[in-house]
Amino acid sequence: MNYFDELKRSMTWLGQQRDTFFLGQAVAYPGTAMTNTLAEVNRSKLLEMPVNEEMQMGMTIGMGLNGTVPISIYPRWNFLVLAANQIVNHLDKIKIMSRGGFTPKIIIRTGIGSQRPLHPQHQHISDFTAGFKAMCDFVDIIRLDEPHQIFDAYKYAYERTDNRPTILVEWGDYYSEK
Amino acid sequence: MNKQDLIDFEEDIADCFNNALIKAPVHLYDGNEEQMIEIFNNIKEKDWVFCSWRSHYQCLLKGVPKELVKQDILEGKSITLCYPEYNIYSSAIVTGNIPIATGMALDLKRKGEIDHVWCFVGDMTSETGVFYENHKYAVNHDLPITYVIEDNGKSVCTDTREVWNVEELTYSKPGIPKVIYYKYETKYPHAGAGKRIQF
Repeated sequence: MNYFDELKRSMTWLGQQRDTFFLGQAVAYPGTAMTNTLAEVNRSKLLEMPVNEEMQMGMTIGMGLNGTVPISIYPRWNFLVLAANQIVNHLDKIKIMSRGGFTPKIIIRTGIGSQRPLHPQHQHISDFTAGFKAMCDFVDIIRLDEPHQIFDAYKYAYERTDNRPTILVEWGDYYSEK
Repeated sequence: MNKQDLIDFEEDIADCFNNALIKAPVHLYDGNEEQMIEIFNNIKEKDWVFCSWRSHYQCLLKGVPKELVKQDILEGKSITLCYPEYNIYSSAIVTGNIPIATGMALDLKRKGEIDHVWCFVGDMTSETGVFYENHKYAVNHDLPITYVIEDNGKSVCTDTREVWNVEELTYSKPGIPKVIYYKYETKYPHAGAGKRIQF
C-alpha cells in the first residue's frame, strides 16, 4: 500500500476501536489532505473543532482523563506549536505530577506541510520533531517516513501498555509521492 | 471540614513553611472559607475538580484526608496537587487547567454521564483569552461545567483591574451562565506565608 492508503487504513482501524474519538479542524468538514483519510470512520466519532489549538489539546487531555482515547488532529507542526503549553507543561508532566495516577492515552496526529505542487512558504513546512523530542520526556514522537511504518505505528500508539501519549508526524508530500 | 478546620490547616502549613520545613512554594487560602464551603455543598463525590496552584481547600473539601494533603505539601507538591482517586487535577500554569476541564465536561456529556466539572480560576486568569474561549464553548454546547472565579484582586502582586484598565472584571456580573464569582481578601501573600526563608 502507498502512504495515503496506509493512513486511511490506520484511521479506519482506530475508528473501529470502541473508546476512540477524533477531533480537530477539517475532521468532520473537508479542508485538508488528512480529511480524506477519515472517510471510513463513523461520523459520530468525528468532532469538528473551532480553530483553537491550545484549547483543543487541553480538551484532548480532559477527554483522555475520562477514559476516551482521543485522536487529536493538527494538519501541520506549525499549527501544533500553538498547543505547546498543553503538550509540554501538562501532557508531558501529568504522570509524574499525579504519581502515575493520571495516564491518559492520547494520539496526536500532525504533519510536515507539503511543498509540492504548491509551496505554502515558510510558516507551513516546519518539522519540529527534534525540538519537541528535546522538550518532552514522556510524550513519545514518531515520524512516519515510510508507508510500511504507518499502520504499525498507529496500532502501537493505541495498544501501548505504558500509556505514553504519542505524536505521529506525517509528511504531506508523501500523500501523493510514496 | 468546617471553616475553622480550613483556617487551622492553612495556619499549620504556614508555620511549616516559615520554619523551613517545605522546600517548595506554597499558595495559601484565607478569607474565603464560607464561600468555598457553600460551593462544595453542591459538589458531589464523583464530580471533577480542576484547580490552579492554590488548591488546599478544594482537596480538603473534596475529601482528601488532611494528613495526606499535608504530607504532599511537605514533599513540595503544593502547587500541583493531583488526586486521581478523588478526581482532582491541579496545575501551576496560568490557564492550564481550563481547557482540560472543558474537555472533561465534553466527554462526560458525550457519554451521557451525570457527573459535573468544577474549574477554579483566579481573577487574572478569568480575564484571559483562554478563559473567554473555553467559557464560550462550554456555554454554547451546554457542557456540564461551572467555572469558579476567585477574585483576590491580584495576580502575584499585580493589580488585575489596573493592568487591564477596568473597574469591573468581565465575569463578575451576576447571572453569567456557568460562572460562580466571589471576591475575598487574604492575609497571605501570593506565595509563602509572609516570612522570607533561607535554606
